[in-house]
Order: sequence, then C-alpha cells, then structure tokens
Amino acid sequence: MKMCSKDFSTRLRANYNKSIEIYEGRLISKLLELFLAYEEDSNVKLVIMKGNGRAFCSGGDVAAVVHDINRGNWKIGAKFFWEEYILNYVMATYSKPQVSILNGIVMGGGAGASVHGRFRIATENSVFAMPETALGLFPDVGASYCLSRLPGFFGEYVGLTGARLDGAEMLACGLATHFVPSARLSSLEAALHKLDSSDPAIISAVIDEYSLQPYLKDKSTYHRLDTINRCFSRRTIEEILSALEREAVKSADDWISSTIQSLQKASPTSLKISLRSIREGRVQGVGQCLIREYRMVCHVVRGEVSKDFVEGCRAILLDKDKNPKWEPSRLDQLNDSMIDRYFSRVDDEEWEDLKFPARSSYTASALAKL
Amino acid sequence: MGSPSPADQVSRRAQVLAGHLRGLQTSTEPSLSPSPCLQYSPPELASPPPDFNLSDMRKLMDGHNLQDRDWLFGLMIQSKLFNPRVAGGRVFVSPDYSQSMEQQREMTMKRIHYLLDCGVFQEWLTGRGPEVEMRKFALHEVIGMYDHSLAVKLGVHYFLWGGAIQFFGTKRHHDKWLRDTENYVIKGCFAMTELGHGSNVRGIETVTTYDSKTGEFVINSPCESAQKYWIGGAANHATHTIVFSQLNINGKSEGVHAFIAQIRDTDGNICPNVRVADCGHKIGLNGVDNGRIWFDNVRIPRENLLNSVADVSPDGQYLSAIKDPDQRFAAFLAPLTSGRVTIASSAVYSSKMSLAIAIRYSLTRRAFSLTPNQPEVLLLDYPSHQRRLLPLLAKTYAMSFAANYLKMIYVKRTPESNKTIHVVSSAFKAILTWHNMRTLQECREACGGQGLKTENRIGHMKGEYDVQSTFEGDNNVLMQQVSKALLAEYIAVQKRNRPFKGLGLEHLNKSCPDVPSQLTSSTLRSSQFQTDIFCLRERDLLIRFAAEISQLQAQGLSREYALLQSYQLAEDLGRAFSDRAILQTFLDAEAAVSSGPLKSVLSLLRSMHVLIILEEDASFLRYGYLSPDNAAAIRKEVTILCSELRPHALALVSSFGIPDAFLSPIAFNWIDANSWSSVQP
Repeated sequence: MKMCSKDFSTRLRANYNKSIEIYEGRLISKLLELFLAYEEDSNVKLVIMKGNGRAFCSGGDVAAVVHDINRGNWKIGAKFFWEEYILNYVMATYSKPQVSILNGIVMGGGAGASVHGRFRIATENSVFAMPETALGLFPDVGASYCLSRLPGFFGEYVGLTGARLDGAEMLACGLATHFVPSARLSSLEAALHKLDSSDPAIISAVIDEYSLQPYLKDKSTYHRLDTINRCFSRRTIEEILSALEREAVKSADDWISSTIQSLQKASPTSLKISLRSIREGRVQGVGQCLIREYRMVCHVVRGEVSKDFVEGCRAILLDKDKNPKWEPSRLDQLNDSMIDRYFSRVDDEEWEDLKFPARSSYTASALAKL
Repeated sequence: MGSPSPADQVSRRAQVLAGHLRGLQTSTEPSLSPSPCLQYSPPELASPPPDFNLSDMRKLMDGHNLQDRDWLFGLMIQSKLFNPRVAGGRVFVSPDYSQSMEQQREMTMKRIHYLLDCGVFQEWLTGRGPEVEMRKFALHEVIGMYDHSLAVKLGVHYFLWGGAIQFFGTKRHHDKWLRDTENYVIKGCFAMTELGHGSNVRGIETVTTYDSKTGEFVINSPCESAQKYWIGGAANHATHTIVFSQLNINGKSEGVHAFIAQIRDTDGNICPNVRVADCGHKIGLNGVDNGRIWFDNVRIPRENLLNSVADVSPDGQYLSAIKDPDQRFAAFLAPLTSGRVTIASSAVYSSKMSLAIAIRYSLTRRAFSLTPNQPEVLLLDYPSHQRRLLPLLAKTYAMSFAANYLKMIYVKRTPESNKTIHVVSSAFKAILTWHNMRTLQECREACGGQGLKTENRIGHMKGEYDVQSTFEGDNNVLMQQVSKALLAEYIAVQKRNRPFKGLGLEHLNKSCPDVPSQLTSSTLRSSQFQTDIFCLRERDLLIRFAAEISQLQAQGLSREYALLQSYQLAEDLGRAFSDRAILQTFLDAEAAVSSGPLKSVLSLLRSMHVLIILEEDASFLRYGYLSPDNAAAIRKEVTILCSELRPHALALVSSFGIPDAFLSPIAFNWIDANSWSSVQP
C-alpha cells in the first residue's frame, strides 16, 4: 500500500452500476488496471471517482516513501511515483469522460487523480491545495501541466505557496468544471447512472442541472489576481519575493504578508525547482511534463542535492514540530547547476525515463481540460 | 533504444489505416446513408514514438537560455494583451492582424510596456558581457515568434538606437541615455536610410554643420531625396533619433557621422523644425510606425555628436583618431552587425514555426485514395510531399546551428574577430532569410487553402518577414561583400605568400580534395565527402573569381567595374562560402553529441541538408564538381533520405520547442476548430 491513508478511498463507477470501492492495498496499481480495462469495456460510458468520508484524496503516502528512503531504498519510492504518473497520463489521455466528485480535501496526489479528467465537481466542502513546497517536494502528478494553465500566474501562486482554495475558487480558476452543493450529489450521481452516453456535452448538461454559481467570498485570493500576476510573473523566486515585498510596502495587508511567509517557510530548493517546473510545463504537453517530473522526483528521493524531502516529512508529518531545517537554507546558496541536476537524467544504470503505455486512443482528449 | 524496425512501422501504419476503414466497412448495404465523416486523428498517431529525447534536441536547437525563453513564452500566453483566442479547444496567441494599422501600432506599444513591467528588458542596455547578450538574443527571438512587428519595434529601440549610443557614444552619452532607454523613459529610433540612399549609406544627403558661436550642430535635409525614410518608431512614438548625416566642418566634408536629435517632446508633440510623415500601410509589420523625417536646420548641442570615432572641439576643429575615412565609416556600421545577427536568427525561428505547422498538418490531412474505397493517403506519406518539406526541415536544422554559432562569435567579439563577424553575419543573414522566405512559401502551399488564413500564420508571415532580405543590408549587396572579402583575402595571401588564416579558408592551404567518381550511398552520407565537395567548390570558385577579375583588369577595366562584370561568379562564390561555413557549424554541433539515436538523426539531417544543396545548386554540374551520373545518384539518395526522415518528422518539429499556443489551429484538431458549433455564440 503506497497511497492514501485512512481518509481516502476511491470509488470507480461505471454507469451500468458497477461500483468498486478501493480501500487500502495497492491503490494506484488497482486504479490503473481498472482504468485500462474500462477503456476497452464498451459497457462503460463514463468513470466516476469519489472519496468516502471527508476527503476526496489528501495525497500519496509520502511518509512511507520517506521510510523507504531512510532505509536506503530510494528506488521503491521512485517506483511508486512511476506508477502514479503513469496513472495520471492514462487519465489525461483517457478516451472516456472521467467525472470526479471533489466533496472534501483534494491535495497533491488527489489533485493528480482528478484534474486530468474531463469533469471536476467542486462542492462547499472542497479544499484544494498543492502543499509540496512545504514538504521539500514540488507540485508533481502533472501539476506543472495543470497549474501552468490556470489564468495568469495563479498557478505559480498556488504551486509555490501551497495556498488553499475553496470550491468557489476552484471553479473560478478552472480547477473545477462545476460546482454542485453536496446535498444534491446523490441525485446527481443517480442521474449520471441513468446515462447511456459518453458524449461530454450530454454529461455536462446533466451536471449543469445540479450546478449553481457559487459566491466567491470577498476575501478570496482570486480577487487578487492582478497583484498575483504582477508578482508571480517575475523571472525568479528572488524577484517574486522582492515584488511581493514592494507590494507590502505599498499597502500593509495580511494576505501579502502571509504569502511572503509561506514562501519563506518553504524549502528553498523546492521553490526553485517548482517554479522552473511550472514554467517549463506551460510550454509542454502533459506527457513531457510527467517525464520531467519523474526525473525531478527521482532526484528528490535520491537526495543528492538536498535532503529536504526527508526533512520536510519529518517536520510536518512525522515529528510534527513544523520546524524543518532546510539545507541549503537560503535561496542564494542554490546555484543554477544544482537546480539543473533535478532536470537531468538520473545517473544510475538501472534508471530510465518515464515510459508511457501505448495509448491507441490518444486523441483530442489529451487536451488541457482547464 | 533503437529505432522501430520498418516492419513495426508498417504494421503500425496498417493499424492506423484500418482505424479509418472501420467506419467504411460497416456500411455494406448500398444505402443512401451518408458516408462517414473524416475524423481528426492527431499527428502522434501517424508517427512512431520519438526515438530521441525531445528536450535534449531542443537544447541543441535553442542552444541557450531555455528557461528564460519559457518564462517569456509564459508571460505572453498568460496575458490578455497577447490576444488569446480559443479554437478547437485550444488557446492560440497571435496579434489581431485585422485591426487597423493605428490599432496594431498601439497594441505593439502596450505589449512593450507590459513586457517592460515584467522585467523582460532588464540589463538589455545597462548589462554587460556575453551572458547578458545571449539572454537578450533569446528573449528577442521568442518575441519575434509572437509577432515580427513587436520584435522589430524593440530591435529599433534597443539594438539600433541603444546600440548606436553604446557603440558610437562615449561615457557622457552612456550615462545620459542608456538607463532611460532601457526603461523606455525615452523612445529611440534610428534615422539612417533616406529616400535617395539605402544600402549606399555613404551617399546620404543630410548635412550637418557646426555653429561655433552657439556651440551647436545644425542638421538639415537639403532636398526631398534627403528625407529620412522607413524610420521605425518615427511616425508615432519615438521621442529621439540617431541621425546619420554628412558632417561639414569649415567647408570640408568629413563623411558620415551620427548625432542625437530630439524629435518629440514628452507630450508627444513634434519638435520645432522637424517634420514627420507616415510611411503608410505596408505588406507587413503594420504594428511598426515607420515614418519619414525632414530636418529644417534643427539645432542640437555639441555634446549630441556621438564621438567615439570623431569629435568636434568647442571652437569647431574636427578631431579623429581614425584618419582613414574608409575605416572611420566602417566603424560606424558596427551596430548593423548586431542587427544582422538578430535577423539571421529570427529568420530561422520563423522557418521553424512554419514547418511545425505545415508538418503537423501534413500528418493529419489526407488527400486522394490510391484505389477506390480505400482511405485517403496522408499528405506526408506522399513521397512528393516529403520532398517538399523534409529537405527544408533539414536545412532549418543546419541554419539553427549556424545562427547559434553566429550569435556566439558575436557576443565573444574582439577587435581581431570583427572582420570575420562582418563577413559571416552578412553571409548568414542573406542565406538564412532567403531560406526563410522560400520555406514560408513552400509551407503555405503545402497547407493548401488553409495556408491562406491569417490565423494559420504561415501565409501572413510571408508579408511580415519579406523585409528581412532588405533591411540591415540588401541580401544581394551583402553577398557581394562576402565574395569581395574572400577575394581580398585571396589576393593578400598571394601577395604576401602566407597561408590562409581565418574565415574557415584554411582548407585552401591543403591540396585539393579528391572526390570519388562513383558515389555510393555511404560516400554521400559521409561527412568527409560532404566537407570535401563543399571545400572543392569554394576553392575552385575563389580561384576562378580571382582569375576573372585579374583578367578583366588586365584588359584595362577598373577593379570596381571588373567586380560588377563578374557578378555571376561572385554570387556562386558567396553561396559556396556560406554553405561550407554552415556545414561546419553543423559538424561542430554534431561532434558535441555523444553517440545514440539523437546523433543518428542529426547525421540524417546533415546528409539531407548537403545532398539537397548538391541537387539544387547548379554550380556543381556547371563547373563539373559532379558528373550527371553523380547528380542522378544524389537525387536517388535524397528520396531515400526523405523516407528515412519521415518517421522522425513530428519529433523533429516538436524539438523546436515552440509552445502549442504559438502554432495555429491547423496544427491541431482543425475539424473541431472549424466545426459549426465553434461559430455559435
């Protein structure tokens, strides 16, 4: 079992009412297997993903990966990410519509399991975040593809600061395609079950019937898009920080200071590689993004430049002292060649670049769905 | 990972074709039901997976500052100012060329201010050193891929106006102008060309005199043909200009000099004694406000003479360290070199855009069935279509290496390398921009009617890029300068009895290379043969050219007149030099790659690049470097190379690293992009 602890389970649904619940066990392998099988099964018209309990999915079990790393076994961790990214790719290139019901926490791997699909339904319970830079990791699972395609430089903001978004914000920025109040979810599901069509327009029309336009709260960061664009469009992390500091001088403001704080608390290495990953992702296809992220994550788990991932998990997930000691501890201690390493091939005989399964139906559905 | 075997490729193709057939086979009954529609199937399906790493190839293509490029692509894609439009479920960015000329000019200026605020132009003038210059080149290339007007408008301000201040000015000018220019506090333009004089800068008619009583220069346009013409930025926005003018001191003409003159005040009103008119609508670059300027005895302070080469003392004495007026004039043309470097490189990026679009389209568009009821054939599966596009692709790869080399020698320039840079930049600027125009035309035709739509970019780019063969030196004039420089080198070597050194001419010190009379496929593909045949042609043409000139001179013709008469040999020699130099940059780039699939495909491209020149350039047969039999073998090999490059076509254009948003709807799902639902509100 490598993914998703107690608060997570996934239900795959085909519309002829086959419902499969996946709890523990080899979740990702199982999902991948099912996705591939359903693609061939002409009875399956669409795939519904949802969580049980208060989360959709709060991400992979990185603690287990760190455990393996500590025992000197980075390759087990690498294998976990390999499978996860393959699943992300299959979802991104899937020939049938995937409907994800995001009635709760959607973080990290959970975002990866939904955002590549055609429909993402947010509710008043949705909480979205990519908190990886605080863990010494970087937004992966294809996030460099998806975040970079959010409006303006909102993706940089979300990916670097780990900011939390609610359902209304997810809809506004395009991470969600619909907003359905949770009270209506069971009737929506029932309606989807009755459908005998894979036509996205028809499915969308059904979801539309249950959707409403949520109110974007006054304090929403999405209203700050202009400021976000001004600051997060800068070329480097250092320049982003000084742009934010200039804004802070212009007007004392909690939001700006907390944004600066989250950047200062994050791993400097994570910030630098995350920014570069999102910037490269903006001009690449989803496959290229996942290949690059796989290279990056292998370097992260090998810990040759920085061991921040282990340290971040220790401080946030294991010891919970929330006081990670990043190394290198400052942005200016990271030179270009250190960052370049994360984007290069891994120097190990057995290692290879991420390879995708042949997708006979690699079609227009491989488009960005944002 | 090896390349897929031909059998694999065949079975893959068969599968793809079967997919198209499936729809047809179901309707067996002779009914009146409509035949099934064409389905868009992405180019990935018509190509085997790439067998080399696309990022590694892109690194080789772009050569430098990839992260800076991606950052800037992102700045443009994410901003509403860059006119994002959705077609077929994708976002594309490119200017709205249906706007009026005035609107396009205002949009260009708005985009400049946005990029300025984002910090794109930081250090463009205040920074120093090769790294800063390479970054500037990279960012400028990316801007040009969005819109040539935007790149040209910026090029005039930073490279021409800013460059003139850097190169011709001294500390007082640098301190006063460079920072303000970098931050667009002032807007500069560059008034060199006149109605009556373009390439012949020494003949310009604007005259400047010095008034020692007031310590001012007085600039005057004495006649209509002296009006400054095509001055980018002059019609609407520029506040200042560099003025090229004859300098007349105490009744003596000291030749062409450069001055700074203000033409608009801070409110945008035209200054007294300056007249400005618009050049009007053009076949392209309508986002650039080209204007004409007349000077009616405009007075400027003495300090506004850009005095790195020559100065005038307060009491009106002419002072110059360079006594030879020829050399003095040459020093004035230095900023045009940087212009030629950026033009050459941007021409390659334009070719890349058009090839990426046309090749992606040719992997999704079908036409005609070989037999009735068979699916139609994919355009790029026609050998003739391969022959049209793939050689241009190979040449674009070669020219990419050439442009990277040119940038590199430019940023590492020394006083000793100036001559090489002048010759190489002239040759490459001409060859690369001619190649671009040819590529654009072929790609336009290869896309059929779709190529005519402005949204599909290629056709429109013909108008946008045509100017490249004219500005910063007419291509034909530049190529004549190349052969003239080679001749001068040849004569100097003969006279002083020393070996050739520089310009890559060292091969003339060795004995004449032997080219085998029978050309097998492996010979044709060997770098040795390819180098030899290009060296042979260059050597022979140089000797012939020198002989013809000296023969004509012996008949009593002046050297200048003899050069005019020998224009045919001069042209052939200029090409021979360029082809050999470009091949050298390819070989150098290839040598830096370790063996593997990437190196193999580079070698295919190099062979295609060379063989297509051997096939197309008549000089090889004309002067007997190749026999008609050789030519036939080459032609056959080109066809084989086409079929070998065909499986790599998609990967090769993907390696250009052009974001999807910078291509066009026909590069993706053109059926969706044109569907009825796409025109519904």
